[in-house]
Amino acid sequence: MKNIKSKYVFLLFIVIAVAQLFVPAQMIFGQEEILTKGKAYKFKTQPIDPSDPYRGKYITLRYDMNSAVSNDSIWERKQEVYVYIKEDSLGFAELVEVSKAPINTENDFVIAELRSNYSNPHKVFFNLPFDRFYMEESKAKPAEDAFRKAQRDALPNNTYALVYIKDGDAVLKDVLINEISIADYVEE
Amino acid sequence: MNSKLIKELPELVENQVISQDIANTIERYYQSKPSDNPNRLFTVFGVLGSILVGLGITLILAHNWDNFSKTIKTLFAFTPLVIGQIVVAFSILKNKSQTWKEASGAFLFFAVGASIAMVSQIYNIPGNFANYMLVWILLCVPLIYLLKSNALALLHIIYATIYACNYGYAYGGKAPWLFLVLSLLLFPYYIKLLRSRPKANITSVFNWLLPLSLIITLGSFLIKFEELIFLSYIILFGLFYNLGKLPKFDNLKLRQNGYLVLGSFGTVVLLLIASFRWIWDDVLEIVSFSGKETTAVLVLLILAVFVLVYLFLKKRVDKFNLFHFIFIIMSLLFFVGLSNDIAPTIITNILLLILGINAIKIGIDKMHFGVLNYGLVIITALIFCRFFDTNMSFVIRGLLFVFVGVGFFVTNYVMLKKQKSKDLNDEILAQVQQDENNILK
Repeated sequence: MKNIKSKYVFLLFIVIAVAQLFVPAQMIFGQEEILTKGKAYKFKTQPIDPSDPYRGKYITLRYDMNSAVSNDSIWERKQEVYVYIKEDSLGFAELVEVSKAPINTENDFVIAELRSNYSNPHKVFFNLPFDRFYMEESKAKPAEDAFRKAQRDALPNNTYALVYIKDGDAVLKDVLINEISIADYVEE
Repeated sequence: MNSKLIKELPELVENQVISQDIANTIERYYQSKPSDNPNRLFTVFGVLGSILVGLGITLILAHNWDNFSKTIKTLFAFTPLVIGQIVVAFSILKNKSQTWKEASGAFLFFAVGASIAMVSQIYNIPGNFANYMLVWILLCVPLIYLLKSNALALLHIIYATIYACNYGYAYGGKAPWLFLVLSLLLFPYYIKLLRSRPKANITSVFNWLLPLSLIITLGSFLIKFEELIFLSYIILFGLFYNLGKLPKFDNLKLRQNGYLVLGSFGTVVLLLIASFRWIWDDVLEIVSFSGKETTAVLVLLILAVFVLVYLFLKKRVDKFNLFHFIFIIMSLLFFVGLSNDIAPTIITNILLLILGINAIKIGIDKMHFGVLNYGLVIITALIFCRFFDTNMSFVIRGLLFVFVGVGFFVTNYVMLKKQKSKDLNDEILAQVQQDENNILK
């Protein structure tokens, strides 16, 4: 009797164990799919340095693309904003339009979060979703400093995030300063 | 405790308090009684060890080893998870002791969290903290039941509370309704504990942790209708007090009955706050009731009334104990407060006075010094609060304090005397009974 019960418990545990493995595995497959099949965009950005208690140090990215004029006027805080983009002549991501709901268009889009539209009902401020770049704990702060230094040299637009986008899902692959990956840039 | 008693035995025999035979019997009794103490201690240390190792691994992974390739980092993410799962599977299959199950379960709990965190790190998944916690907690809920693990149940309620705070109290937060689901998921386990081991230490821990968790999270449900926070907490504390009076809990010692203590103490603190007029000024500003927040408070009220009615049917309500009904009175007062702020302020002050006297009476009836002084503290606190916002002369304030101070002395002294005479009576009664028995022999 006891044996049968423990067998059932064991079987149930196997199911749960599979679920526990499935969640991270599924996250990996989803991200890999975007990285292989998505289109790469460059977003101009600035890094700043905070931390997360469980996942470690990351730099928060503050994107230049953070506001748009919208025809919709009634927005709620934290609402989803569909941000449509295309590639400009220099190869950077350029905003086409924003909307409350998906639009039928060829352009790629990402789903951002509304920050506010207090100052002007038609001007929408938003946060792009891929605003975290995890780094080795000793490198996050130097990365911020390195960015500031790079900002002072003559070349404009020298820091950007490389983001893969597919059907509205985005994966932040790397952050580059002067075409060098930020992790390597810090080491130099 | 037992070994101490056994050590005392030779002395008792020597002084002819008990015979050698009785001493032997006592010794044999304690030796044959299965002692679970070392085992329990071992479990506690096992769980603590697992938690520390689990947290340690989380931190090591959080270093973000960017020299390693993505494949190796992914391997890192799954290693602790798989190890944890193998150990748990082993303790289930081999039907290992509870210590094994508790410790391996606690480790697996953190391994699940670490692996999800590691993957979000590798791919820079922004996802907010609350969602991450929710997935983590949900993936570990079944383990509580499969391993019958107290450690996992504790971790569940603690992490669910952290989740609710992160979700609800954060900037632009919304009500964390899923927290209620998480709590309900623990419910069968808790009920089983109450049924099978009502007086165990672990059950008492839950008797405190569960109400505390609700007290911490309730406010996050009302983030959009802050004026209701006061009313909802009064009802929650009333609910806790009456829950604490249920037959199941009322037989416990006060320190095991978190519901009663938190309910009573919370009610008094809230009433003290409400004895100031400015709290009612906020209530005056409420224009209309609507939305989920109002429904939530209503459900809470119905629940509290339901428990009170149940107590009535079981004849467990002391009609002169205002603590039972205070949440109803305050709810009514709240509606009076919508149009008037002076009457509720005055009534709240009177209620507090009655509550204080009530507690003093309960203390005297039950010969409980703690409750008696609790009542006196309520009255002192009330007077203290009135010092801030009334223009009483210093002489009257001084006299009031002296009066209450003397009250402390007198009541405690009278009760001490009463207790002594009661003890004396008991002793005499016992003596008489023994004499009678001797005569009958």
